Amino acid sequence: MRGLFHRPDPRRLLRWLDPRRFLRWLDPRRFTRWYGAGPLHLLTMLGCFALAGYAAAELLPNNAIGIPVWFAGAVIGHDLILMPMYTVADRSAMAVFRHRRPQLPAVPWINYLRVPAALSGMLLLIWFPLIFRLPGRFTATTTLSLDPFLWHWLAVTGALFLLSAMALAVRLRMGRARRKTRDRRRRRGPARPGRRTAS
Amino acid sequence: MKSLLPSDPPPGPFRRPFWRSPIRGPWLTSVFGVLLLASIPVLFATGLLSYAAYNPDLSRVNDETPGKGLLGFYLFSWPTHPVWLYRLNQGVHVTLGLVLVPILLFKLWSVLPKLFEWPPLRSPAHALERLSLFLLVGGAVFEFATGILNIQTWYKFPGSFYPLHFYGAWVFMAGFVVHVALKLPAMIRALRSRSFIGELRTSLARTRPEPPEAGELAPVAPAAPTISRRGVLAFAGAGSALIALLSVGQSVGGPLRWTALLAPHGANPAGPDDFQVNQTAASARIRKSETGDAWRLTLGSDGQDGQPAAALSRADLLGMRLHTARLPIACVEGWSTGNQAWTGVRLSDLARLAGVAHPSSALVTSLERGGAFSEVVLSQGQVLDPDSLLALRVNGSDLTPDHGYPARVILPASPGVHNTKWVASLTFRA
Repeated sequence: MRGLFHRPDPRRLLRWLDPRRFLRWLDPRRFTRWYGAGPLHLLTMLGCFALAGYAAAELLPNNAIGIPVWFAGAVIGHDLILMPMYTVADRSAMAVFRHRRPQLPAVPWINYLRVPAALSGMLLLIWFPLIFRLPGRFTATTTLSLDPFLWHWLAVTGALFLLSAMALAVRLRMGRARRKTRDRRRRRGPARPGRRTAS
Repeated sequence: MKSLLPSDPPPGPFRRPFWRSPIRGPWLTSVFGVLLLASIPVLFATGLLSYAAYNPDLSRVNDETPGKGLLGFYLFSWPTHPVWLYRLNQGVHVTLGLVLVPILLFKLWSVLPKLFEWPPLRSPAHALERLSLFLLVGGAVFEFATGILNIQTWYKFPGSFYPLHFYGAWVFMAGFVVHVALKLPAMIRALRSRSFIGELRTSLARTRPEPPEAGELAPVAPAAPTISRRGVLAFAGAGSALIALLSVGQSVGGPLRWTALLAPHGANPAGPDDFQVNQTAASARIRKSETGDAWRLTLGSDGQDGQPAAALSRADLLGMRLHTARLPIACVEGWSTGNQAWTGVRLSDLARLAGVAHPSSALVTSLERGGAFSEVVLSQGQVLDPDSLLALRVNGSDLTPDHGYPARVILPASPGVHNTKWVASLTFRA
């Protein structure tokens, strides 16, 4: 292409326009090397964007700025804000409690904190408009009160942590009982192997 | 691209050792993937069925998305039986959508390293694929967010719910189908790489990372595991179960309604005998003077150039042959009521009175002004069904203002908003 305009030469032009030159692009190997995948991949992609484009042509006029912002915001909000936030919370919890005295038990205690916290957070993520009484006309249209939702969420959260604490207590007790019987059985036996601490 | 960017990834998430989770890997991703693969089509199908239930092809009045074009290819006249059809459809659509939130979150967590691939664009194919992933992830979160906010009547999304959720679903499905087509072989391979039953038997102490060569998602420098794979599956399952437990009651109703502690319609309005209201008379700005003794139902037929065939008072209507039908009200938002005993005049009898023995459709208008569903066109099947009534009483008492006094339409198997309240006129078309 560059040469074509650089040095006008009818023979070069003819060579450039040679249909065989375009036919070579139909060679699957050559296409694959340039495109990075097989022709079927391209066809699938074109089908995808044709359908998405058709729908988007009707979707976007509803709000040509707001909707793309929501799509991008959905990806950024989830991948770059929500997920790093809960990852950092999880790691911080592990780091803070690991160095506390008395030494934490060897069972994977973090899960007894992580699971109720995450489930409660998930409920908040879904129902925060009701919990924080945000839908202003809810009561006027449905006759239902928005007041109970905060209490329901707090009660469910409390119940989750309570159940989790009970499950941890049961597990610790079972572990202690098991250890006791084992120690009794092999009294003066070889030293108990060091247990891996949760990390 | 290669010339613009260093071939070595910058430090941080662009490098594979950054991702240390010992359980992240193609197998776990594929388990969540197969769950979504089984459920998203159900979500999509129930969504399309709900759209069909509005009979948008019948009239512009019924259609919230008139530009649908080819996307309405499948539309059909919505049936009137079984009477719980729409109730089931919307209960499944909304509850399943809510239940999938944890599965979606775990799936997205499991594939996060892919967002930081290096180089970001390897080839035209790779660029297109990443663009399709933007449609997939953006579309998924957009659809879940608009749906979840709409059922809480918090309309903060950028436009009217119906077009956003409908066209957004097609954009999302375009990304979904292409993703499934491209990833299905990898998913099957990953699922075969480990035994599912075997994983359910593997405790934390025996949990080992997937080998780095299993795929890009597997860690190369894994941390010590703090949760087993079966633990993660139980974690996600517990999330789904909890959400279902706290919301399904608003669709099942009856004695289970109170269990919907975190769902918009988990409470009964006035008392145990009353049932759910979508919109009160006050919020629809219905004036007492319009619904008193002066109220008349205007009956018309389309051929009469606006000349009403009859104007009936409530007493006139109560003097006609009355029927009782036990029908639910089911909202697009997923909540529904149990069957209520509605008593009133059959729409087909009113059609005959209007001089249209074989109506092809009927236009119902409400006293409500300007609401999105203050007018609706009913199909022939809906008008002629013996259970379709202009109801005057419910459960043995007169309708209350919030339930549509002086008269409301009640239809079997139809979206709640098509059961027009505070009816002003019925116009039948031959």
